Amino acid sequence: MLEVTGLVVRYGSIEAVRDCDLTFDTGTITAILGANGAGKSSLMKAISGLVPAAAGTIRIDGEDITALHAHRRARLGISHALEGRRLFHSMSVDENLRVAWEFRHRGNDFKTASDRVFERFPMLATRRKTPAGLLSGGQQQMVILSAALIHEPRYLLLDEPSLGLAPVIVQQIFAAISAVCRDSGTTIILSEHVAALALSVAHQAYVLKQGKVVRKGAASALAVDASLSAAYLGG
Amino acid sequence: MEFTLQLAFAGVCVGSAYALIAMGLSLTFWTTRTLNFGQGSLLMVGAVATVALLGAGVPAVAAVALAIALAGALMVVAERVAIRPLLKSGDSMGWVVSTLGFGLFLQGFVAKFYGSQAIAFPSLIFTSLDFVDVFGIQVSAQYLAVLTLSVALMVAMEIFLLRSAWGRAVRAVSHDADVAALAGIPVRRVVVLSFVASGALAGVAGVMVAQITGTVDPQFGFNLMVLGFVAAVFGGMGSIVGALVGGIALGVAEKLAGGFISTAFGDAVAFAILMAVLAIRPQGLFGRREMTKV
Ligand SMILES: Nc1ncnc2c1ncn2[C@@H]1O[C@H](COP(=O)(O)OP(=O)(O)OP(=O)(O)O)[C@@H](O)[C@H]1O
Ligand SMILES: [Mg+2]
Repeated sequence: MLEVTGLVVRYGSIEAVRDCDLTFDTGTITAILGANGAGKSSLMKAISGLVPAAAGTIRIDGEDITALHAHRRARLGISHALEGRRLFHSMSVDENLRVAWEFRHRGNDFKTASDRVFERFPMLATRRKTPAGLLSGGQQQMVILSAALIHEPRYLLLDEPSLGLAPVIVQQIFAAISAVCRDSGTTIILSEHVAALALSVAHQAYVLKQGKVVRKGAASALAVDASLSAAYLGG
Repeated sequence: MEFTLQLAFAGVCVGSAYALIAMGLSLTFWTTRTLNFGQGSLLMVGAVATVALLGAGVPAVAAVALAIALAGALMVVAERVAIRPLLKSGDSMGWVVSTLGFGLFLQGFVAKFYGSQAIAFPSLIFTSLDFVDVFGIQVSAQYLAVLTLSVALMVAMEIFLLRSAWGRAVRAVSHDADVAALAGIPVRRVVVLSFVASGALAGVAGVMVAQITGTVDPQFGFNLMVLGFVAAVFGGMGSIVGALVGGIALGVAEKLAGGFISTAFGDAVAFAILMAVLAIRPQGLFGRREMTKV
């Protein structure tokens, strides 16, 4: 279980996340919804350690990780795929996976780990030697997901994985996300602009507005709540 | 003809040393997006420390090794005091001033103990009178040793960057430090590693160039650093092969201009070439744009 209590994230005088409490149960998918600038990315970066928490604590399975560097949290089993499709463009698909794997694996060899990932996304297997920068947007997103999954993380943070992708690819990506949760029991936190999409795979959801949690509940309940998008998601 | 070939060969050799300097500058540029203007003084420190240790009776191999280690250690200090604090405040360009200041401090420190006059640098392996016959031209053994060592170091560096976990980590941090950290890479340690390597390379280059020129003084490193910088930019700042070709082209141009026109003219030609290359290909001859993502 991942618990966030009283979290505050500040950039200078801007408060991006204000006193947020959230819990993420093991083996579930949680959607984080909210309009532009609501603080979704900042919340996720505070969990993975890319931005410091100005106040509050972050615990995984009871252990306080608030003071740990991002690379330490990564080794504890937190994977975070950032928004904006960030990967190592000049490195091949294989190298991207290797970099993602070699500083946090536990014993198993790279070949086994990468083969397992390619089973999930067979179309990547034929592009192993291609520089990641030359792949299509959908393929890049698959590389990012694969890199995030290659060491079998306990927690997976996905920041707007659907952004800018064709509907068919989005479906594939979301199917993969559901499958990861179901097969490996990974706890997944998913931020999205498109509420309906995220709610279709999530178990529960939080809605952020101006850095505060304004709604939370079962995904199925929020999905039928017509007032949601008008009130919080900016239309 | 013989004279031209000899000049060209000397140019290739000193150019390979420029390439080594360029590689040191590039390494820390990749990991921190800063240029370490203190590097010139570390070239000088490497050479001066070698002279000092030899004078104290330390055997040559140990003296050179210690001097290189000192340059590596000083580079870590440079990162700690002149770069890291200034990167905390976002877009500050303060590192230009602070790294330059660090370099000038080292110059002043050395001048305090040795004066600002040139000190003789002893012959380590070969003397300047040793010559080897290569394809019928007489080639200075010292120059040949410099070329061999530089090329070997650059090949080793390229293999390290392409094939080893820490080499990949350097490239990953260079491209996107956030994504690298999320992959479990200890970014701070990679940065420090790059500075140690950069300092050690500066130490090696300093000793090699001092060996050729035969003297060293506190200002010794500054022009060299500028030439290394030219080689790096010429080669595209992102590639080792580029730095090597850039350094060698620069060295040859400098020596030929120096030999046929006047020694003082060598640097001027080097910079004229730099400006011409940049005007035509702003990314350098071997620029990999993605390596130097802005
Ligand atoms: N590095 C930064 N420096 C300064 N302010 C920032 C920084 N990153 C985010 N912010 C500000 O913090 C607030 C929250 O931003 P954040 O990126 O967390 O929102 P978001 O919900 O992810 O938005 P989006 O849907 O556009 O991705 C915004 O007001 C934003 O301008
Ligand atoms: Mg965001």
